[in-house]
Amino acid sequence: MKFLRNILNKQKEAVEGNEKLKKFWPIFDSLDTFAFTPNHTTKSGSHIRDGIDLKRTMMTVIIALVPCLLFGMWNVGHQFYLAEGTPDVSMMEKFLYGLIEVLPLIVVSYGVGLGVEFIFCIKNGHEIQEGFLVSGMLIPLIMPVDVPLWMVGVATAFAVLIGKEIFGGTGMNVVNIALTARAFLFFAHPTKMSGDKVWIDGHTGATPLGDLATIQKYQAEMSAAADAGNQGLVDQLGTQIAELSEKTPSVMEAFIGTIPGSVGETSALCCLIGAIILLWTGIASWRIMVSFFVGGLSMGLLLNVVGGDTSQFMGLDPITQLMLGGFMFGLVFMATDPVTASQTNSGKWIYGFICGFLAILIRIANPAYPEGVMLAILFGNVMAPMIDHMVISFNIKRRKKRLQIA
Amino acid sequence: MDLVSLFIRSAFVENMIFAFFFGMCSYLAVSKTVKTAVGLGAAVIFVLTVTVPVNWLLDTYVLQEGALSWLGSEYADVDLSFLSFIMFIAVIASIVQLVEMIVEKFSPALYGALGIFLPLIAVNCAILGGALFMQQKQFFSIGESFTYGFGSGIGWFIAVVAIAAIREKIRYSHIPPPVRGVGMAFILTGLMGLAFLGFLGF
Repeated sequence: MKFLRNILNKQKEAVEGNEKLKKFWPIFDSLDTFAFTPNHTTKSGSHIRDGIDLKRTMMTVIIALVPCLLFGMWNVGHQFYLAEGTPDVSMMEKFLYGLIEVLPLIVVSYGVGLGVEFIFCIKNGHEIQEGFLVSGMLIPLIMPVDVPLWMVGVATAFAVLIGKEIFGGTGMNVVNIALTARAFLFFAHPTKMSGDKVWIDGHTGATPLGDLATIQKYQAEMSAAADAGNQGLVDQLGTQIAELSEKTPSVMEAFIGTIPGSVGETSALCCLIGAIILLWTGIASWRIMVSFFVGGLSMGLLLNVVGGDTSQFMGLDPITQLMLGGFMFGLVFMATDPVTASQTNSGKWIYGFICGFLAILIRIANPAYPEGVMLAILFGNVMAPMIDHMVISFNIKRRKKRLQIA
Repeated sequence: MDLVSLFIRSAFVENMIFAFFFGMCSYLAVSKTVKTAVGLGAAVIFVLTVTVPVNWLLDTYVLQEGALSWLGSEYADVDLSFLSFIMFIAVIASIVQLVEMIVEKFSPALYGALGIFLPLIAVNCAILGGALFMQQKQFFSIGESFTYGFGSGIGWFIAVVAIAAIREKIRYSHIPPPVRGVGMAFILTGLMGLAFLGFLGF
């Protein structure tokens, strides 16, 4: 520790003494406060003493993400060796394979994101805020493993620049940064990102959601063929559906997460561990989590009633539906982002419900996007200020009325 | 059921702002505060809901080829569809005039806040666009065109109120000076369009 302090002190002298280096103060400052508790004091205005600051909040979220990250790495290796036909290799080997695949994504995401942030801070001359710590970890976790690194770089740069810095930096953004990065790639390079397939080193494997969407398509084709009296096609599609149906994971598999998918999203169990950490420390809002879950559940039940007989995707039991894909990951880490979610308590209920409801609706009703969580949360982010406005004006009206009665 | 899906389609999937970028000028201009946005949004809903069915009647019984056959068999091959632009605009302008008088009478404050943009609804491309899409889509009944007009209006309303709420929220953010104001509104529209893309393909 002493050793680190000495190095930093030497840097401090260099930065403060040299006129030319002075503008790099934000970089030094961020490294310094990252390593040691800062002894800053408030210079003006109100003084609030609280043990938690932005940096600690961000670190807590990172800790909550660690189970997802570690499991994701193992799962990448697991899926790879499964596709190779040798699923019996040791756990360590699988983990190492995943580590080698995932680590570059993390490095690129942090490198590009922090680079953009540093440039902005030096240019504007204000201190670096740690908003990117979490986004930089979230971005690799919601990417398919084999996404080219330049794509990650471009998407991260876009998200940090257009999604955050232009709005004035950390805490001012309107849409979730990690989701902006993913949506950017999703629409700019749909072949890599559509959420129905994940590639692992040449082995193309459809995600369970992709399979279900295909089944839905086949079922529609089959009923059309049956109407037309084409018995050969009906039989052929029937066997294809049966083949795909066998691949649909059980609830337990989907819950543990040994299914193909983006790095961090597959395991509902790890997301739940993260959720417990976030809720226990009081960083994420339980209102959003509960209403998000209820929204997804009610949409799942509704679809069961509406189309349970005609389509296997709609008829999927709601719990399995919610365990698949990125629903749990979005619920725990994306929707609860305190900056982009609704600020008012009743607003949080509405916001969460809309996100969850839409996530399942887009997943099923939109054949082009078997994964709808990302777009649903982005939609919720965009609508959140309007929801807040409505809630507040409703409260004002109610209190005025109360005043009149009294 | 068809009407419900038509409504959702016109409000979200084919949102006037995010899918076609129609009515951008007033969208950018009045979205500084939620209050004016709600006012103009309501006016657009009203105007679209009235003009689209009226224009549908006009189109079906006067303008289309053979539409005049109710006058007698000698008019059966008259095709007045080259007049549709001018007729649609005339209908829209007169109805906007009506809305303007009503707003001025019942809410002078809103009338003052909306200013020039209320008469400008007459040349708002979202309104004419609604009428022309109606013609292109060849609706079969007045109910369909009514639903389409109402849904498009609701879509425009949601878009303008949502961006106004966001712009109110970011008013005190430290936005770089070059993109303050309209520049920011454009960037926001782009990001919101990204979120609305989720509905594409329903």
